[in-house]
Amino acid sequence: MTTVLAGCLGGDDDGLTIGHLAPMNNVLGVGSDRTAQMAVEEINDNGGFNGEEATLETRDTRTEPSEAQSVTEELIQQEDVDVLVGTFNSETTQSILDLTSEFDVPFMITGSADPGLITDYVGDDYEEYKNVFRVGPINSNFQAESIADYCAYLSDRHGWDEVAFLRDNAAWTEPFGEHIPDLLDERGLSIVHEDALSIEIDDFSSVLSDVNDSDADFVLRFFAHIDAGEMLGQWAEAEYEFGIEGVSVPSMLPVYNAGAEGAATYETTSQSGAAGVSPITDRTQPFVQDYADRYQDEEDYPTRAPMYMGFNTYDGISVFKEVVDEIETTNTRDNLDDFVAAMLGIDFTGVAGQVTFYGEDSDYPHDVQEEREDGTITNYPMTQWTGIEEIECVYPEKHRTAEHQMPRWMQ
Amino acid sequence: MLGDIGTLVLQGAMISAVYALIAIGFTMIFGVGGILNLAHGALIMAGAYLFAILVRETTVSWISIHPVIAFPLAVLGIAGLSWGLYQGLVRWVEENVVITFLATVVVAVASTELVIYWFGSSPIGMTLIGGAINLEPYGFNARPRYVEFAGFVVSWIVIGLLWYYITNTDDGRSILAASMSERGAQLTGVDLHSVRSKTWLIAGALAGIAGIFLGSTGSATPLMWLNPLALAFIIVVIGGIGSIKGSVIAAYFIGFLEQFTVTFIGQGFRGILSLVVLVLFLLLLPQGLYGREFVHD
Repeated sequence: MTTVLAGCLGGDDDGLTIGHLAPMNNVLGVGSDRTAQMAVEEINDNGGFNGEEATLETRDTRTEPSEAQSVTEELIQQEDVDVLVGTFNSETTQSILDLTSEFDVPFMITGSADPGLITDYVGDDYEEYKNVFRVGPINSNFQAESIADYCAYLSDRHGWDEVAFLRDNAAWTEPFGEHIPDLLDERGLSIVHEDALSIEIDDFSSVLSDVNDSDADFVLRFFAHIDAGEMLGQWAEAEYEFGIEGVSVPSMLPVYNAGAEGAATYETTSQSGAAGVSPITDRTQPFVQDYADRYQDEEDYPTRAPMYMGFNTYDGISVFKEVVDEIETTNTRDNLDDFVAAMLGIDFTGVAGQVTFYGEDSDYPHDVQEEREDGTITNYPMTQWTGIEEIECVYPEKHRTAEHQMPRWMQ
Repeated sequence: MLGDIGTLVLQGAMISAVYALIAIGFTMIFGVGGILNLAHGALIMAGAYLFAILVRETTVSWISIHPVIAFPLAVLGIAGLSWGLYQGLVRWVEENVVITFLATVVVAVASTELVIYWFGSSPIGMTLIGGAINLEPYGFNARPRYVEFAGFVVSWIVIGLLWYYITNTDDGRSILAASMSERGAQLTGVDLHSVRSKTWLIAGALAGIAGIFLGSTGSATPLMWLNPLALAFIIVVIGGIGSIKGSVIAAYFIGFLEQFTVTFIGQGFRGILSLVVLVLFLLLLPQGLYGREFVHD
């Protein structure tokens, strides 16, 4: 009955439809949309999804939960999507989890890292939210661990042991605020200055003075909302004697350092996919090359590589193809249990790394598993700006293209 | 503690200098034409972007001018833009306060959209003067940049020139007269239209200078004008609408208040004390420090 009604309402039961959700006013969203198009085109051309060609429907969530809800509802009710991929900020993702579970639509998260998106939903009520998977990035708890290991590398390489820990005063950095101090302590590093900065901050003079006063060897910062372009400008011009490390979402944009007139040189950020500069898997470089070939002449950034969410979205759609081939139907909504079982069995070599999911009884059911080598997480690589347009992957060793460099004025 | 106070004085003085430029332009247009020009913020943003276009090789590939030449060019450009905004739009609607208010809001929003369309929303950095001075050997934990000193010096030169122009030349005195009483000014032979055009030209130049310094100390973004405009509003209320002297004093008061908050209370409280002061002024001294009661003619 529901199917008949959906048909009457304009739903399209004949074809396979993939819904993609992203903030399209944001470069991350643009990159993600482009990789979704690439994945769908390539798979359609190579035999399709279990023999069916897919149509891609992208909707703009504008990083607003209410907007995300309305476009998701439209995708589910009117476009009758068979899978949803995407969403960037955690607040937006959270706002549509109930909708997707109510309609049994498989949902692959490719931009948000808040562990609560898994633990508070699939983890709390498995039957209700079993449609939800996170393809990437690894959740913030693993990210915190990976970054602490990276700090230990900095300590080994440069003798940097004293850390100024700064973060956005926002939800996504709370796991870092909670875990980083202990994780650093375990590795013999100490936090000498700590601050959660207002995301409205526009004058960094006092922040830099405080860090300088603390004699920290480097700033470990987690910025997504704050664009620290001004901080970098002051840091580079005044040649402050500390490194700038950690996560900065704005700095993941391939033209960021050109925009900052080179002030970002020597700063680092971690990002799944390592900006495409390292052969993380055999598929990474061909994928980035293909992306650049297609989009390098476009006006809208990102043109050289898609940024982290794009890597994960591409992998999400590729994983979806593997799974529907295995269950031999694209009608995932009526065969959700088969879909979930196939997803849990997947071991897929993607462009951002190996994709495998945690099972029902783990701490993070349906979350992408972190990759480890010798106990160290390897699928949250760290990149460093080494020139206006040059980026190197400096951590982990497995993916390293160059050793981490101290700022020029400290060498 | 002493080091903190030293840093506070230094940073406060440098940021206040830019606030003063913004507020003077804003208050002149209000004082003379009674126009609340919300497009003033857009002119600040335009100053930063125009300067970026002129000096950066990467913004527009075939233009790359030395900052010393680009600076006056950008200031003239924004002064012209401001004058054009008055001649092309505002003068036709200025008799109606509400329409003027709305028209300038539309210009501000539309220019933000245009900038996003042309340049994207990513920040654009630019260099007026590179380098910084390390004051740590002198006991101050600060490394102010040369561009900040330049902002302070340029601000005072501009304020000085403007003061001289307004008080010592016939041309300038006609602006002062029009701001006191339009009818009175008209009766003494002042051409109101010409006076208003001049104020838009001057306000545009000041906004352009402020934009270049804001862009060079931070970076240019499509929404970089929101905060300065809000500050200009607060400063003008505190200083007294139409008063240049009041604007300068209030700009320094607010600049130091903000720096004090950041140094001793916390970054997150930056704007709150200014708002509290604004409310106090609105309640207790609505005409501001150097304002007049409105003269209705």
